[in-house]
Amino acid sequence: MAHSEDHIALAAEYALGTLDADERTQVETLMAVDDDFTAVVQAWEFRLGVLNQMVGAVEPRPELWDRIKTAIGETEPQSPIELPETPPVAAEAARGGHVADSPIPMVDDSNLIHLSLRVRRWRSVAVAMTALAATLVAMLSAQVYRPDLLPGAMRPKPRTQVVEVKTPVPTSAAQFVALLQKDSASPAFILTVDAATKNFTVRRVGATSEPGKSYELWIVSDKLQRPRSLGVIGGNDFTARPALASYDTDTVNRATYAVTVEPEGGSPTGVATGPIVFTGKLIETVPPGTPQGR
Amino acid sequence: MLTPPELVWLIAAVAKRDEAAFERLYTATRAKLYGVVLRILRRHDLAEEVIQETYVKIWNSAGQFNPGLASPITWMASIARNRAIDVVRKRSEVSIEEEPSAMDVAAESPDPLARREMTEELKRLLECVGRLEPDRQKLVLLAYYNGWSREQLAEKFEAPVNTVKTWLRRSMLDIRECLGLG
Repeated sequence: MAHSEDHIALAAEYALGTLDADERTQVETLMAVDDDFTAVVQAWEFRLGVLNQMVGAVEPRPELWDRIKTAIGETEPQSPIELPETPPVAAEAARGGHVADSPIPMVDDSNLIHLSLRVRRWRSVAVAMTALAATLVAMLSAQVYRPDLLPGAMRPKPRTQVVEVKTPVPTSAAQFVALLQKDSASPAFILTVDAATKNFTVRRVGATSEPGKSYELWIVSDKLQRPRSLGVIGGNDFTARPALASYDTDTVNRATYAVTVEPEGGSPTGVATGPIVFTGKLIETVPPGTPQGR
Repeated sequence: MLTPPELVWLIAAVAKRDEAAFERLYTATRAKLYGVVLRILRRHDLAEEVIQETYVKIWNSAGQFNPGLASPITWMASIARNRAIDVVRKRSEVSIEEEPSAMDVAAESPDPLARREMTEELKRLLECVGRLEPDRQKLVLLAYYNGWSREQLAEKFEAPVNTVKTWLRRSMLDIRECLGLG
């Protein structure tokens, strides 16, 4: 209802199909957090959809039905996410860094376009991790003598603490949001960052829990030497933490956020050990001061 | 093609995991959806992939279909079309030169229907599109039917991308006003 002309035009161009890939992701992210905006997009989709009445029918090959039947047998929505049995990225990187040639552990291996993008994105992560391995010895001695010199996740215990909040997403200015997903069709977590306080919340939408495993959230940025842990995502639907407070706003806003599967309680080393299962980037949702749609 | 009420019934059955209904739904709608995505993707392998994903999504989200908001075929086609657009937008290396030149701008309405075959909703939308300047009409219809990006449209209309962006935005807002959308 209270959407600006910009939002309405964005929704219209989404339905028309003229947005680029990043803008489409932005719209899909907004749709995931704003039901009113979803209604605007759908109204456009359905209004324009009547144009398809004029598109001629083309028969697909008969084999396609067999593929679909097989596919629906494999993708029952209630089934848990299956985690690939591949070696962790960090181990690959530490061994010599040709991660780009190795199969990247991904849940979604059906979408090669996604995969190649991810390979590019994570190549820089791998490089950062190799650099980390080289300096590990120095770090270890620092850990003994001056733990405060080390970045958060490298410090010895105490571990990042998980705070479960009873209330839903804070209603005050939640300005940045990221869908953490394996592909645009299946968001797993919604990350919301309050621009003013840098507090963030993680809301579970599609991800299923694996016994004995934890999801751990990482911030990945070219401004950081390596991915840094933002802590383990709690078992409940909402997790809230102030862990981004030490990062500057620009880093927070431009970083990629990634979720890996780790042993229960999180990575024991401070470095991601498990496969990357979901990633996303923040987009701005509402300008400061505007009340949110929901 | 089955009637819309029959399709609504089939989708409701699919939501209850009725595989026979799903097969009937597929049989009744596959050629239409395939036509829509093939026009955008222009490759059978990509179109088959998108149609497979589309029907998997329909199988998994049939319970979310709201017949009060859209006709069954419009709902299904919008799932298919969104997947197709996602695929072409991520294949940015495919340039307009590779597009078959057979696509005639004069035929931007791909399969003209006799007026009596059109639904009221289609007539109304075409009236509103028809009120745009002729070039803008072509712009909107090429974008919709062929799934062209702003860059492809800019090349076709020999205009800067930013100008095309402005035209698209203005055209959509004009259509919205003409349709009387809040």
